[in-house]
Amino acid sequence: MVFVMITITLNGEQRKIRDGSAVDDILDIIGAEQQRVAVVVNENIVPPENRSSMILRENDQVDVLAFAEGG
Amino acid sequence: MVNNNIMNELQIDTYSFSSRLILGTGKFGNVQSMLDAIRASGTELVTVALRRFNREQVEHDLFAALSTIEGLTLMPNTSGASNAREAVRAAHISRELSGSPFIKVEIHPNPQHLMPDPIETFEASRILASEGFLVMPYIPADPVLAKRLEDAGCASVMPLGSAIGSGQGLATAEMVKLIIRESSIPVIVDAGLRSPSEACAAMEMGCEAVLVNSAIAVAENPEAMAAAFADAVKAGYKARKAGIMPKSGSAVATSPLTSFLGKKP
Repeated sequence: MVFVMITITLNGEQRKIRDGSAVDDILDIIGAEQQRVAVVVNENIVPPENRSSMILRENDQVDVLAFAEGG
Repeated sequence: MVNNNIMNELQIDTYSFSSRLILGTGKFGNVQSMLDAIRASGTELVTVALRRFNREQVEHDLFAALSTIEGLTLMPNTSGASNAREAVRAAHISRELSGSPFIKVEIHPNPQHLMPDPIETFEASRILASEGFLVMPYIPADPVLAKRLEDAGCASVMPLGSAIGSGQGLATAEMVKLIIRESSIPVIVDAGLRSPSEACAAMEMGCEAVLVNSAIAVAENPEAMAAAFADAVKAGYKARKAGIMPKSGSAVATSPLTSFLGKKP
């Protein structure tokens, strides 16, 4: 079986993912599925309830953010 | 009888906190050390930063760690933003993550001195306050800027004592006093404090709280230092409420100067 791949930018780096991947699939790939993270696609915040239905497209800019230590 | 009731709580907008010490979570040697210090400090408000998720965070979930402490409110900061637009964006994302209305607006474009950009800070604060955030801007100790931020709807102002992480203490003391005199929102010294005595002095001066990070995080024993800062903040606040005696230009005797042995009346 051959998957069609698309290229997105994930946290500033280009990455190939399967066409048809949802935001949730990306969180699985980077190991963030269990964590409290914010997801921003093309500068729009994607709330948790929309992450399984939102399909990523070629050239999407995806940022996954979390809290880190800071003063 | 000392009145320890609700009057002693820190009020920020409609929120009240039993501690007047706010902790930053940066620079601790490890997560356990940070959690121990937070508990020892008694704080109910801590700052966090927003960053891209990376591999290290798969094993190290700060949000989950902080969630183990009951009654803790998060105040995300906008560090990393170099202008108002980036700070506003960071604030929106942080609110999504934290569920907290608090935001520490922190815009310092120059890593050499980390001095806050007053123009971008004002603009970001104005926008975020109009959107309903409880804005706590980290600012230069400038009374004019502080008043403008109050008028723009900020929940507090947080002038720096000295440069972030420098441990140079309350170098801006006289300017902070001017800010306090003019402000009707809480003034919180943020940055530069090195030792508990400086936190105590800030409270005596009229600050409603202090925000401490490096002085606790890089102490040999962060947990013990957090407890020391907590005591100092309480002492300074109590002293201010007790009414500190005025200074005199000359000596004022505490014992009678007359009727000593062998002296003529």
